[in-house]
Amino acid sequence: MARILIVDDDLDLLEGQKLFLEKKGYVVHTALTIEDGLARALESAPDVIIADLMMEHYDSGFVFCKKVRELPGLAKVPILMQTAAPRKMGFTFDASSAPGREWMKVDEVLTKPVPLEHLLGKIEQYLSTKARDA
Amino acid sequence: MPDPAAPAVSGAHGARPLPDHVSAASLIAARDRDQVRVLVVDSEEGMREGIRRILERRGCLVRGAADGETALRVFSECPADVALVPLSGAGMDGAVLTEQLLRRSGNRTVVVITSARASVEAAVEVTRQGAFDFLVKPFSPETLVYAVEHAAQEGRLIREREKYLSELAGERTLSRQLINSMHEGVVVFNIRREPVLMNPRAEHFLGTHFREGMALSDLFPDLDAAAAVEAVLESAHARPECRLVPLAAGERRLQCSISPLLRDGEPGGVIVILRDITDTWKAEQDKNRFVSMVAHELKSPLSAIINYLNVILTGMFDDNPAKIREMLERCKVRGEALLELVRDLLYINSRDVGKVDRTIEPLDLSAVLASQVEFFKVQADKRRIALSLESPPGPCMVKADRGDLDRIFMNLISNGIKYNRDRGSLRLRITEAGPDWQVAVTDTGIGMSEAEQASLFQEFYRVKSHKTSGITGTGLGLATVRRVLAGYNGQVTVQSRPDAGSTFNVVFPRETA
Repeated sequence: MARILIVDDDLDLLEGQKLFLEKKGYVVHTALTIEDGLARALESAPDVIIADLMMEHYDSGFVFCKKVRELPGLAKVPILMQTAAPRKMGFTFDASSAPGREWMKVDEVLTKPVPLEHLLGKIEQYLSTKARDA
Repeated sequence: MPDPAAPAVSGAHGARPLPDHVSAASLIAARDRDQVRVLVVDSEEGMREGIRRILERRGCLVRGAADGETALRVFSECPADVALVPLSGAGMDGAVLTEQLLRRSGNRTVVVITSARASVEAAVEVTRQGAFDFLVKPFSPETLVYAVEHAAQEGRLIREREKYLSELAGERTLSRQLINSMHEGVVVFNIRREPVLMNPRAEHFLGTHFREGMALSDLFPDLDAAAAVEAVLESAHARPECRLVPLAAGERRLQCSISPLLRDGEPGGVIVILRDITDTWKAEQDKNRFVSMVAHELKSPLSAIINYLNVILTGMFDDNPAKIREMLERCKVRGEALLELVRDLLYINSRDVGKVDRTIEPLDLSAVLASQVEFFKVQADKRRIALSLESPPGPCMVKADRGDLDRIFMNLISNGIKYNRDRGSLRLRITEAGPDWQVAVTDTGIGMSEAEQASLFQEFYRVKSHKTSGITGTGLGLATVRRVLAGYNGQVTVQSRPDAGSTFNVVFPRETA
């Protein structure tokens, strides 16, 4: 079964998404901090990572993504970033362009609250792309 | 003006000697009446007399002098508006006397040269020496009168111009002083885009000194500002308009108001007024950041709540009512925290706009804290946290608003319970510290690292770790404590070590009356 890692500093959001995805048959690991998230990523080798943008700092999510990509075997793991940050905070979240993805080290940026079916659809999409590429 | 009765003046021998010494008082009075004062220099007494008669009939005040020396003496006593000076034959060269008279009058006296020798060269020469006109002897009374009046008119023009120029110089000095004392920076560019004027404020703003030959790009490396100057210059002819452009000058933010400089309706350059808007700009930035943070802080709990509700609504937990209840409980907690956040925000806002009714009165800090401790007792007991208050004997007087004191200590006590461990303690201790009361709020909770302490009093900062993940808070409590205390010249500091608990020290001025 596919493994998913969710990193978010909101315990309730983690819990809700975990409950839902587990019911959908995924193995879900969660982490509340970047540090914990990196440790979990290393030990669980997730197939998809869902990360929050603003955790300890306003750009913790980007830092986390960059560090995940440096971990062995995780250079290409799909990362979905979810954020409650309004667009005018100074970032232009454009994950649709290659340079944007390259800079952010992120495959997709989703705005909170992400509808469950949408989240599921995105996860399935990245998993099938991954399976096809493999 | 012609006077047919008057004889031609050609060295006529008059019956009456020319009064060479008209009193100074009458001459000054003449000036006041706008009478033309004429000095007639001629070696021939008859000539002087003839001229006097004709001019006096015209209302002039006339004095005579037989030679140059006398003329200068008479002139120094009573200056003349018009002087008739012979080209030669008055014991002094006409050109020399002209030069002397002009110098002594500060170029105010108008000199008309009289001569029997009507050579063009001579006329040119004396005119070059500063004479205004040339009268060829013999001349008719009309010619004389015309020449004198013409000269007098010239004198009036000279005086008017002088007056005008001195007023203009005065106004220039005034405008320059005004421009230099302005709080705004002023830069004027000519039509060739060269700066021609810069006041000290503009030099200060732009970090440069005015010098000849500067270019537009020297002053405005910023392309927007330079482009706006160009645009105003180019469109000035069609529709004079003022443009506003923001400009970053180092740490400073300026607003340039660029308007065309028109000379007789034609574009002559541009005037740039620079206004320092750094403070408002910074306030605006802070406000934007705050609003963004608020939006984020409002969306986070809502996302968590909606997410739980969506999970419940999928029906996947319909067979597990306990799990559903658990999720609903969390929704309730998060919803309540959200409400608390909205209340705090509204409080901060109403406090900022001065809408909070405050009554500053003498209050006993130990009594205020005692009632706070009483209020939090139930909450502390639930987690077996020992809540205590120590205070010196007698009242600890402060001058404050009760609501403000409650807000400060409610936040600290509530944090002391929330971030404590079960069966821990929370101690409040009031001590005297010089002119202040010091209140130490010491908990036995999770504590903080130095990095975490650094941002603790900023809006929306919350220590986030696995130890704090279940604890709700608005991120505004300690920021509010700091703000409220600042209004009383008080302050709050923290001492803490991870896992060893924290002490918040509040310093509040004592009421000494």
